Amino acid sequence: MRVEVLLFGGAALAAKADLAVVEVAGDASDVTVRDVLAALHDQHPALKFALPPPESGRLAVNQAFAKGDHAIRPDDEVALVTLVGGG
Amino acid sequence: MMVVAFIVDGPLTAEAQARALHAHAGKWQALTRGGGVGATLRFEGIVRRAEPDHGTVSGGAGGGVAERDLLALDYQTYDPMAERGLLTLAREVAERHGLKSIVAMHSRGRVGVGEVSFVLEVAAPHRAETLAAVADFIDRLKQDVPIWKRAVWAG
Repeated sequence: MRVEVLLFGGAALAAKADLAVVEVAGDASDVTVRDVLAALHDQHPALKFALPPPESGRLAVNQAFAKGDHAIRPDDEVALVTLVGGG
Repeated sequence: MMVVAFIVDGPLTAEAQARALHAHAGKWQALTRGGGVGATLRFEGIVRRAEPDHGTVSGGAGGGVAERDLLALDYQTYDPMAERGLLTLAREVAERHGLKSIVAMHSRGRVGVGEVSFVLEVAAPHRAETLAAVADFIDRLKQDVPIWKRAVWAG
């Protein structure tokens, strides 16, 4: 399954893009947050500094934090929300 | 309990804060007149001139990160998650510390050196709750609210 991940801040600067695309093994019914994080580690080495470990990390899915076994559906909005620096 | 959180475009000038809080002024006055508030604490985050430039390493003996002069910071928010996250965090901190009120405001977009980009105002029966709440809020803001800042360097 192809997943588009929105990027912000330092991650967007490092990738020179505001979107990272990953190909994740499996069909739309069994792709999880953990799978997408692992695919980002493998397919986008420039983002490694901003990526949490797949086992314990989180992504924003449809504007809410989600971890681990949370399933990603094809039409979900997925974003990498790490290393925030407001304030 | 009064819980208010906003993302505001540009610097948090006195006028911008007044506009954002206009609808809540009556509730704030009622809270303070009610006698339950014994302490208020206001924190302002201000854009300072010198910032570490992580793309530059100083030539000194320590080889640390050099500081450069800023023109401004550009704040990027992931909307609407950022404002919702600010409100959720405000509600959680208010409940945890027994606050009577909490107001959190953060800038989106460009904020110049010397201008305010973040305001947190809390009220509680005693000073200890206000001090703990401000520290707690700011620590968690940097973990849980999707707001990023980018340096705009001078020169």
